[in-house]
Amino acid sequence: MKGGWNWIWKGSSIALLAYVILRGFSTPLQPGLVSATPSQLTLEEHTLTLLAVGQPFARENAQASDFELVLRSGDQLLATVLTDVQPHAATAKVRIPSTLPSRALDAFLFTPDAGTLFLGNACFVEDAAKGDIPTEFRAQAPAEAAPKLGFSFPYQPNIMESIRNLLWHVPMWFAMFFIMGLGFVASLAQLRTDSVKWDLRAEAAVRTGVIFGLLGLTTGSLWARWTWGAWWVSDPQLNGALVTVLLYSGYLILRAALGEDDRVGRLAAVYNVFAFVMLVILLMVLPRYTESLHPGKDGNPGFNSYDLDNSLRAVFYPAVIGWGALCYWMYTLRLRMNRIAYSLLSR
Amino acid sequence: MHALLLLNSLEGFFFGSGKAHVVTGVALTILAGLAFAMWRMDRRLSRLEEENANPPS
Repeated sequence: MKGGWNWIWKGSSIALLAYVILRGFSTPLQPGLVSATPSQLTLEEHTLTLLAVGQPFARENAQASDFELVLRSGDQLLATVLTDVQPHAATAKVRIPSTLPSRALDAFLFTPDAGTLFLGNACFVEDAAKGDIPTEFRAQAPAEAAPKLGFSFPYQPNIMESIRNLLWHVPMWFAMFFIMGLGFVASLAQLRTDSVKWDLRAEAAVRTGVIFGLLGLTTGSLWARWTWGAWWVSDPQLNGALVTVLLYSGYLILRAALGEDDRVGRLAAVYNVFAFVMLVILLMVLPRYTESLHPGKDGNPGFNSYDLDNSLRAVFYPAVIGWGALCYWMYTLRLRMNRIAYSLLSR
Repeated sequence: MHALLLLNSLEGFFFGSGKAHVVTGVALTILAGLAFAMWRMDRRLSRLEEENANPPS
């Protein structure tokens, strides 16, 4: 029965990860506006073109009259006349008044099927004086239609299609935390009992955790290149993650350096307890006290309600369970190797 | 290809050219390979544990 249960949870972890891959790469992105052309406007009539990515926000041959585009300046709305709507583009005529509350204009595209698309600071008016928008230029806020997009991932500026990396990068760190936590408990038990069985557990946990830490760093670096434009930025969260992985690599080097020394178990356990405390400080405490590019800054280095929506949760939670279970499976394999090696060496 | 899909490299590359299917296929193949390797290692370890528990006399 035990063997049967073993294969059920191991098989389930692989099935969950297969689901995550299929769902994660086949789910379309919700539409989002990415640019407005021209972005610099003067006090005359312009033809403004907005481009979008993700799912189409309009059908082919859609009627422009079913859509509405308004520009926001400060807290007032500027009217436009939509002339053409394509699946990923909208064109409108806009007359710029001589006075505006703000020179920066945000765009709101109201669609019948895809909800309201927003582009902050879509364009700037170079020579408008500060003042209210004249009445004849103003628009009323149209009624918003609920989006009918089906199962799709949320559009986030800059992140765009790379939001799928959330299903790899974050669960890999969660798996690392989980397995390093197991190693920490094993090291505490080792210090208390001086039993080699706990030392074998701690070594297996750290070795597995380092692999997941390296995977987390790699996926994070790839994501940073796409969203922030650099493979690595000097950020408290990123530097903390790197230092943590280096600390745990130090644990493995320490063990290798001590070789067959009788004290290896206790020394490694002391080091592991120290490394786990540093992990908590560097990844969970320090980022809360500093500004960070990483999502969830201002006190919370993790998620906030704007980072996840229900469609992402439907794939993200299976990813967390799947990666966690795969990590645990790897840990058990390493632990069993350690036990066999110890048993053979101590004969 | 729609001009929009050329707007930036990832948007155009990933869904615009159908490479999403290739990425899915590669990821599933790697996962299958990893699962097979771990399953084989699991079985070998079971055999070694058994041999270790009952060494041949």
